[in-house]
Amino acid sequence: MKRRTIVAGLGVAGAAAAAGLYRFTDLFVKHYPPTPYDDVLAVIDREQASRLGRAALRTMPDFDVAKTAARLRAAGGISGAAAQDVEQERMTEADGWVVPQSVALIAALAAKFQP
Amino acid sequence: MSAYIDARTLPGGTVLSPDIAIVGGGPAGISLALALADTKLNVLLLESGGRDFDSNIQSLYAGAASGVPYAALDAGRLRFLGGGTNHWGGWCRPMDEIDFEARDWIAHSGWPFPRKALEPYFPRAQTLVEAGAWTYDGSGDAIASAKGPVLPLGKGGVYTSWFQFSKMRGDVLPTQFGKRYEENLRRAAHVTPLLHANVTAIRLAPDASRVDHLDVATLNASGGIGTRLTVKPRVTVLACGGMENVRLLLASNDVMKPGLGNQNGLVGRFFADNPIPRDVATLVSFSGALAPFYASNLAMDNGAILRATFAPTAEFRRARKLAGSLSTVEQPVTLDETGTAAVVTTAIALGVDASRARAYSLGCGIELKPDPDRRLTLTGERDALGLPRLKLHMTLSDEDFARFRLTLAELGRQLLASKAGMLRINCSTREEWLKNMDWGHHHLGTTRMHVDPKQGVVNADGQVHGVPNLYIAGSGVFPSYSASNPTMNLVALTLRLGDHLKKVAA
Repeated sequence: MKRRTIVAGLGVAGAAAAAGLYRFTDLFVKHYPPTPYDDVLAVIDREQASRLGRAALRTMPDFDVAKTAARLRAAGGISGAAAQDVEQERMTEADGWVVPQSVALIAALAAKFQP
Repeated sequence: MSAYIDARTLPGGTVLSPDIAIVGGGPAGISLALALADTKLNVLLLESGGRDFDSNIQSLYAGAASGVPYAALDAGRLRFLGGGTNHWGGWCRPMDEIDFEARDWIAHSGWPFPRKALEPYFPRAQTLVEAGAWTYDGSGDAIASAKGPVLPLGKGGVYTSWFQFSKMRGDVLPTQFGKRYEENLRRAAHVTPLLHANVTAIRLAPDASRVDHLDVATLNASGGIGTRLTVKPRVTVLACGGMENVRLLLASNDVMKPGLGNQNGLVGRFFADNPIPRDVATLVSFSGALAPFYASNLAMDNGAILRATFAPTAEFRRARKLAGSLSTVEQPVTLDETGTAAVVTTAIALGVDASRARAYSLGCGIELKPDPDRRLTLTGERDALGLPRLKLHMTLSDEDFARFRLTLAELGRQLLASKAGMLRINCSTREEWLKNMDWGHHHLGTTRMHVDPKQGVVNADGQVHGVPNLYIAGSGVFPSYSASNPTMNLVALTLRLGDHLKKVAA
């Protein structure tokens, strides 16, 4: 067997092993393709949020990804935004759950980018 | 000492002439008899049944219904001594000040007097229903805190209020007035309980100026009419409940053709009850299990039995144009996938640990808006005594649910504001609200109280407009309703009537 073939084979095997390891760790930490909104989504559990987000999206036919991200960034992240919404009575319902608007928005954002 | 008399043992044609005849031996009738027991007035307490349930007597209550599905007319009442207290749940809570007000967003609302007119009677009513030390909104939080934490709510329109529970002395059951006060009535020198005595007609004097006498009949063993008697009281008080009072008034139409007191067509209109839809919401406590006084009735150190409930404040009701409601935790529930997602996501957003979160279903009691078309009328069918049976036309407006929904949404917001939990509203459509619908069996409003005879059947003293010696006691005179259970409140109102009768009949 030629040396070149062995090296190529090892390369392919290594890549496959790396991909497998990457997928294996999905069991512990979900890996998502990069999005322009990873900074906004980083703080939440995206898998759980996307479940709520699918319900939230049913009441947001005009949901705008970019505007939502801009609003959440402007509020300094979801923590500040959620507390402000509650205080200022900016509430909405997602599948009947009474949540701050910002929580519904970030959940909807997560749903939009759920693979 | 007066003995109980079984009307079936009296000779036919007997005429009795008490000062006051009380028709009906339920909580209103018995409370009134006890209130008058310390006077020299001769009081005759007429009860259709005996001391125990009898299906022949109970069947006199059967009737028809149309409209929104409702309980059978003979299901929510009991026709023997003690009346509805023979099967009540013992839930007590005084009506709020706002419940008495004319609220411009609720047509036909408002009592002819404020709550403070009833307040002197609440302590004695509380004693009669045996609900323990007065521990409602004033001190409930402090007393209950000894048994567990009260769920903190952020600033807003909903607050934690308290039910208290009747507990018959030495028993786990709520106070059954017939059994509990049987001996008190026996010992009252001037009070005569007359059992198995059915009033079949209220006979006016020919000029309609006053009640002349009552026709009374007993049921015989085969379910037909037995003995006929006559009662000629100076004053008559109807205390048969919000349905049966209507039947007697409408059926007593020999002089007043539309029915007694029905010259303005109001008798039987404005029927109301407290709808009790179950599982209307799911409440999540982030920190784990709620204190035991949320999902069950709990005895406190002061002897009172308390249960927490969520009530809208008067300010919130005014601002959002809401009716009364009382939402109560019912039992633990398991969250579905979306519910878990909602809790995890919201908890992260608020920066709270929800790893021990527990979920509970909420039930509620709602105040309905008065509706003249929710109405009791007579049918052509007659019972064994020859009285026409009743028909109820039941209505429920979507507005009643929509108003209550705003209160639930506010409770949800306040739970988030305090970072204590969150809430799901489980009902949106009419079908969802009606799916788990239960009823309080609180028969309200059918002989409503109003100073204007064109707007009410009785005046502020409970006297039937135009008939000076005929009064009505009980929750049927409530012109607007509250979400609070009526028994303790109607007892207080009856004690007030007792004071009035002491003056006018003395």
